Amino acid sequence: MSKVIEISPTTRHEGHSKLVLKVDDQGIIERGDWLSITPVRGIERLAVGKTYEQVPKIASRVCGICPIAHTLAAVEAMEASMGVYIPDDAYLLRIVLQCANRAHSIALHNILSLPDMYIPGTDVKINPFTPEEPVRSVAKRIQRIREIAQTIGEISGGECIHPSNPRIGGLYTNVSPRAKSKMFDLAKEGLALARDQMEFMIAVFRNYQKRDWSEVGGMQVEIPATLGYHNQGYMATDPVYGTSSLDENPRWDPARFNETRPWDWYMGEMEITDDYPNYPIGGTTPKGAKAWPQMEACSGVPLYDGQPVEVGPRARLAQFRGYDEKGTIGQQIARQMEYTDSFYKIIECLDALNTSASVLADEIPQGDGSLGWAANEAPRGSDVHLARVKDGRVQYFSMLVPTTWNFPTCSRALTGAPWQLAEVVMRGYDPCVSCATHMIVVDEKNQLVAEKLIQ
Amino acid sequence: MVQDNFLGNYTSCVAARSTNRGILAGSQDGGIATGLLAFALEQGIIDGAIVSMVDPSEPWKPMPFVATSPEELYFARGTRYSLSPNLALIKEATRSYGLDKVGIVGTPCQMQGLRKGQLYPIGLRDVPDKIALAVGIFCMENFPYQSIIQLVEDHGNTKLENVVKMDIGKGKFWIYTERGAVVQLPLKITHKYEQPGCHVCLDYVSNLADVSTGSVGTPDGWSTVFVRSKKGNDVWAKAMAAGCFETKPIEEVKPGLDLVTKLATEKITKNRKSLEERAKFGIGKGLRNPYI
Ligand code: SF4
Ligand SMILES: [Fe+2]
Repeated sequence: MSKVIEISPTTRHEGHSKLVLKVDDQGIIERGDWLSITPVRGIERLAVGKTYEQVPKIASRVCGICPIAHTLAAVEAMEASMGVYIPDDAYLLRIVLQCANRAHSIALHNILSLPDMYIPGTDVKINPFTPEEPVRSVAKRIQRIREIAQTIGEISGGECIHPSNPRIGGLYTNVSPRAKSKMFDLAKEGLALARDQMEFMIAVFRNYQKRDWSEVGGMQVEIPATLGYHNQGYMATDPVYGTSSLDENPRWDPARFNETRPWDWYMGEMEITDDYPNYPIGGTTPKGAKAWPQMEACSGVPLYDGQPVEVGPRARLAQFRGYDEKGTIGQQIARQMEYTDSFYKIIECLDALNTSASVLADEIPQGDGSLGWAANEAPRGSDVHLARVKDGRVQYFSMLVPTTWNFPTCSRALTGAPWQLAEVVMRGYDPCVSCATHMIVVDEKNQLVAEKLIQ
Repeated sequence: MVQDNFLGNYTSCVAARSTNRGILAGSQDGGIATGLLAFALEQGIIDGAIVSMVDPSEPWKPMPFVATSPEELYFARGTRYSLSPNLALIKEATRSYGLDKVGIVGTPCQMQGLRKGQLYPIGLRDVPDKIALAVGIFCMENFPYQSIIQLVEDHGNTKLENVVKMDIGKGKFWIYTERGAVVQLPLKITHKYEQPGCHVCLDYVSNLADVSTGSVGTPDGWSTVFVRSKKGNDVWAKAMAAGCFETKPIEEVKPGLDLVTKLATEKITKNRKSLEERAKFGIGKGLRNPYI
């Protein structure tokens, strides 16, 4: 007889989500459902009728962690619909912004993942906030990397959180030569720190992989060698930046995309049979309570070629670099491998940047209502935005956000893990749940017909 | 530290002028703002300054810009009697201009805005700690650009393009032109062209600046300087040590601090009255007092 355990809310990631886990007598997950319980944003509705400049700014507000990705993807979806081509130097600065955000995001995620890990050679879990060494210097390095990346984002993007500089047709302003050299120096400093940090994190993850057990809420659980394995595919559109329908050979295809309702995909109503009050933080849901993933999930289930896919660092590395280490640790290591690349790319783009060139397209057609889309490789995966702009107004707008893709894939990856490590698997995806909470309804012919909040 | 109800807090007050002839030549009075910022730039106390220059497309229209060299600062010399929204660049200076230590020149109200922004940095993330030097100017009132056109072209019968200098002093608004002709307008005429906001303004000598300066109180070619904050004191002392300015005790010059106090008292007393009047304006729906 399987038991049902619910972890709600999950912690150490952005947004509100929960895990509903069917486990066997040994506590091993037979089927897990990971779902968003952040209320639906309704951005798709808000966007209709607004100007093309407003919508990317509004879209970026769904989240404070990934607004760079949303701004860039939304701006570029508008540009794709309107047929706007941006100057090279604007593109370079957008890449700088993108990479700065990625480096910052990896560093931030280090803080979220470290508490699951052990100081190598000990049975002591890492508390990133301890004043004690060796952790203290690592924490300081993480914060410095964040600071560097955020400052680069601030200069290139106008703001490191909701960037103000990107606009349809390029950017509002190029940077001064002084600003360029400031970013360059920061990137050089960041590169050295990122290399050390990457090596440290990889050592910590490898150490976890070699361990037999982990302690969670006073319970000692075995770490399976296949922690977080799944057989879903990967989806990535670019090693660094993205792609759009304006590209000669777009690397994403809306025809391969489909979406099912949570009703068709998640588990039905169940009663929680077991509870563990000592599980951090605050225990699991008390037994007797009801869970109904089908009804509670606040995001659709996007499919690519009919299947849920994984997006994110490992998907990028698998697709473009031939990297394929499975499981949670493989995924975490892939993320660390993007650390130095982010800074190399910033340096490369700044080298090429002409600070006195125009960063705004000469011509900005106002749109004829054709469908345009842009995919941005956000830190946590492909962020695809779709838009139709006609005569300067947005007629249709939709966001397919990284964590939305990852919800069903990660749910599959839970199978076989002890339930106590379900959150460790989930955190491997660096989830950003508030971004991911969207509903789109697709008809049988795979045509996007309407967006609809869940009934 | 002197604490004065009308002149604010200051550690010292002197009459001063720049020792740099180049600066003096194009400056309104003693070239204090330009001289001090140029010194701060050369010393690395600031790495750029937000000042105003004339919009190249419209005569006498001030436009803020970020100067990062003394040469660029020299563009900014002199007073233009309409608003230059210098604070509009305060964030951008730390962004696409890449400054870490920002200098800024502004009117008393802009100093208030600046300090408020430093205290409550809404929309000014990472800006407050990058303000390295704030030089305030004296200000009785100010005119929208449209008013300047009206005053110079209609009342002064002078094409704005031909004007080389404007000044307010001795109870008159002075317009100097290329051909040397001088037009004076009594301030009675100019009053209705002032910005309405200036009528509730309770600061004359930039009480919140690090250093404030203006022509009132000192002879032609000199400026009155209040050194106010610790930062202001540091920079001023260094600039003095470097011989950037020539000074005289304020007590020894005519008309001296008495005139500054008199004008400050007049402005503030008059504006307090308009605040009170505004509070009772209309029936049961007074205008808001911006200070409370
Ligand atoms: S009088 Fe006051 S409000 Fe008007 S410009 Fe001067 S400082 Fe600003
Ligand atoms: Fe997000």
